[in-house]
Amino acid sequence: MAAAELSVKLQSSSGSKVKDFLNANLINILAAFLFLLLAFFLLYPIIMVLIKSFQGPSGFTLQYYQAFFSKNYYYQSLYNTLLLGVINTVVCLVIGFCLAYMTTRGPWILRKPLKIISLVPLIAPPYLFALSLIILFGRNGLVTRMFDLHWELYGFSGVVISQTLAFIPLAYMMIESTLMSLNPNLEESAYDMGASEATILRTITIPLLAPGLLKAALLIFVMTIAEFGNAAILGGRTPFLAPDTYTMITGESDFNMGSVLSVVLIAPCILIFFIHNYLLEGKKFTTIGGKPVASEPRKITPLIKVPFVIITTVAAGAIFVCFAVVFVASFYKILGVTHDIVLSNYLDFTSNQAIYNSIRVSFVAAIIGAVIGVLLAYVIVRGKFFGRTFIEMVSLSGFALPGTVLGIGYLLAFSAPPLKLTGGIMILALNCVFRFLAVGVEAGISKLHQIHIEIEEASADLGASFLTTFHKIVLPIMFPAFIAGFIYTFMTAIVSLSAVVFLVSPGFDLAAVKIFDAAVYGEIGIASATTMKLVLIVMICMMILNYISSKTRLGSSMKKTVAV
Amino acid sequence: MTTKGVTEEMDSKENEKPMLILKDIHKFYGSNEVLKGVSLEVRRGELVTFVGPSGCGKTTLLRLIGGFTDISSGDIILDGQRINDLPPNLRDTRICFQNYALFPHMTVAENVGYGLKINKWPKDKIAARVRELLEMVELEAFGDRMIDKLSGGQQQRVAFARALSLEPKVLLLDEPLSNLDANLRLVMREEIRKLQERLHITTVFVTHDQFEAMAISDRLVVMKDGLIEQVGTPIEIYERPANEFIAAFVGYVNFMDGRVESIDPATKNTVIRTEFGKLEIALEQDDIQTGDDVLMVIRPESVSLSIDCGSNRQNVLCGTLKTYMYAGSIAKCTVGIGAKKMIVDQYNPRDAQQFQNADRVEVEIPRSVHLLKKKI
Repeated sequence: MAAAELSVKLQSSSGSKVKDFLNANLINILAAFLFLLLAFFLLYPIIMVLIKSFQGPSGFTLQYYQAFFSKNYYYQSLYNTLLLGVINTVVCLVIGFCLAYMTTRGPWILRKPLKIISLVPLIAPPYLFALSLIILFGRNGLVTRMFDLHWELYGFSGVVISQTLAFIPLAYMMIESTLMSLNPNLEESAYDMGASEATILRTITIPLLAPGLLKAALLIFVMTIAEFGNAAILGGRTPFLAPDTYTMITGESDFNMGSVLSVVLIAPCILIFFIHNYLLEGKKFTTIGGKPVASEPRKITPLIKVPFVIITTVAAGAIFVCFAVVFVASFYKILGVTHDIVLSNYLDFTSNQAIYNSIRVSFVAAIIGAVIGVLLAYVIVRGKFFGRTFIEMVSLSGFALPGTVLGIGYLLAFSAPPLKLTGGIMILALNCVFRFLAVGVEAGISKLHQIHIEIEEASADLGASFLTTFHKIVLPIMFPAFIAGFIYTFMTAIVSLSAVVFLVSPGFDLAAVKIFDAAVYGEIGIASATTMKLVLIVMICMMILNYISSKTRLGSSMKKTVAV
Repeated sequence: MTTKGVTEEMDSKENEKPMLILKDIHKFYGSNEVLKGVSLEVRRGELVTFVGPSGCGKTTLLRLIGGFTDISSGDIILDGQRINDLPPNLRDTRICFQNYALFPHMTVAENVGYGLKINKWPKDKIAARVRELLEMVELEAFGDRMIDKLSGGQQQRVAFARALSLEPKVLLLDEPLSNLDANLRLVMREEIRKLQERLHITTVFVTHDQFEAMAISDRLVVMKDGLIEQVGTPIEIYERPANEFIAAFVGYVNFMDGRVESIDPATKNTVIRTEFGKLEIALEQDDIQTGDDVLMVIRPESVSLSIDCGSNRQNVLCGTLKTYMYAGSIAKCTVGIGAKKMIVDQYNPRDAQQFQNADRVEVEIPRSVHLLKKKI
């Protein structure tokens, strides 16, 4: 009886063998296709950089590495970069912790405004702070002239300050989410047992948050040493790896040395990536159930309050001043030098052209990025094939890679066949797609985790093919993730500088590159106005993103993703 | 009785002073008033339970006593001292949270000894005290374990030991049993009660589970919408509820409307006219007069059920048996009387077979029915 049934089934299906095969394996085919894309557009360029660093005129050579390690200049550059990373990380962690502590433990009325101020830098292109520092403390800066200062902004300290301001939101968001994850009853219990605020911090809060703080520290470190704009604009004669790479390529066209610098820059990133995975594996303290609730404000002792309030106020004030200064500067040809309020900065043709180009590039990047992101998320969550975690790792690694490395990689990989892309809009767009892929993928993954596989199984059970299920069930549910991935890729791409600065062609400028050039050449008014336009565009994107996440319960997961 | 010694007399006087006094406590969150004037006295060594539906303010009240939340107005007096403005670390109260809030990065012994260490006890004394506490909760072999290697019940004991480590004047327990499975709840309930009685420690217990509350407490404080509805022993609350809400909250109940027709001043024999005829009860309360409109509180287990219909006995109503759900030790029945339904619990049901086939049944209303005076 059963055998007969089975044979009938087999007969009926043999007619559409191809279709059945597709149905069963479509997800694997999709995964293979996506992996090829990742390999070609993410791994291949990086491998090209690696090869180039070893490839002399007559084959394999170590001469470029020898050159790197024998020249004092490069040593200095490496040292500066690492020192910048350490200082920046420590300062950002302290400020981020103070801000996050205040917004999660402090009085209710302070929480919201402080949070907004902490997150405001997110809407700014990172180089906004370099720009505002030039306006205030540059050689013709407002403060410099007012007080006849002789402080040299260009150099190590200028870079540290602008980098710190730029990375406060990242530090804040990561630390805030770890602080929020701590069950408030733990601190309350310690309080109840007689511990003072400082004792609670020392014995409970910080030990429990150590893994989260370490994670934040590593990420900030990696992002800082890779950051290009601030160091390039404010570095002056102080060498840093990322801008050095840029001058090596654009100034001296020395791709070999440029590649070596990239490899040296990428090495700590990879190292830290592994340390991070190794250290934090399973090192998460589990606490027992109960719903996560916001901590009630408590009486914070002056011992804690005073330093916290000072740090918090200074940081918040500095952020505010930087924005205000750039806003004001956008209405003067050069603020402090010329005195007429003008609108010409906003009407400047080349910068508007650059904005238009940026929008086009970012739009293309956002569409491709969102589609690939959602599909990748799907195969990562639902796929059961070998190498799934590898795909996940590769697709999430883009953000940790220094932009300069991927810039050079694209230049090396796609300026000659098999695929020649240089000089067009596509190379810029694709570069953005694969650099910022992590966000779309994360958004997709978190959305998919909310859907039980049973829904899809139910659909398949009712006779729907894989494609039908995907089309009718998965896609509609994933749509918010798609939109979120789209907007996030768009707003990240539009302000990004470090990779595209290698890839723009004469006559096709991007806004970020335009601001960079204008800042370097002292066209403060134009740089400021263009920055303000970008701020406006990003702000609109943020608002849409906020609206979507509040409408679709993508909420917290998205926020976390954006933090990364 | 023999005459008391002088010291004993002083002790007893000292003992009469309440350990904890709440005076007209109000609490606002923004414009939302979650406590609307709560006053209460908790006696020494007593276990008092705040019970009520979620959102009634019981947990807020507990947190106010612990000092985790500021009160908007009113006074909290602990052992004669006003503690309104003392932060939790300076109050002589200790709390056990619902999720235990054990420190996951410390061992069991470190958790229990945390408060001692904070209060700068010498090391050897801490070790001795921790050992004593762990023995008390029967976890002496677990001192070196990490918290996540313990079962839920064991974690509960550690939390309890930690809260007791500094011998607080008042112990605050916030739904301590709600994360345990049903059987363990009963065991832990008894253990907590035994320890509490042995240590004679004044305890405030919060739960939403009315049965747990009745089983464990000396007195219950039934709360609703930020107000205390009734304070009393479990028996008082169950048998003499102050209003409909409490009557229904602490168990199943059938309400029946009626009017008091007569009260015999000598025997307190009271006749009540209902839509189903006259019922006679033995009045045990003073707040009812002839002519009052009342609500009779009839507990399902106090009603007895028999199959014949038509006997002319006192307090017997005739109805149709709508459902009869036999569950071994108990049968839950619904009887339709007129247009009303009455729930009847038959314990130790003997003639289940007959009842299952029965249609008409007799319901006998007991003479010990509590009356609620209807508000006009």
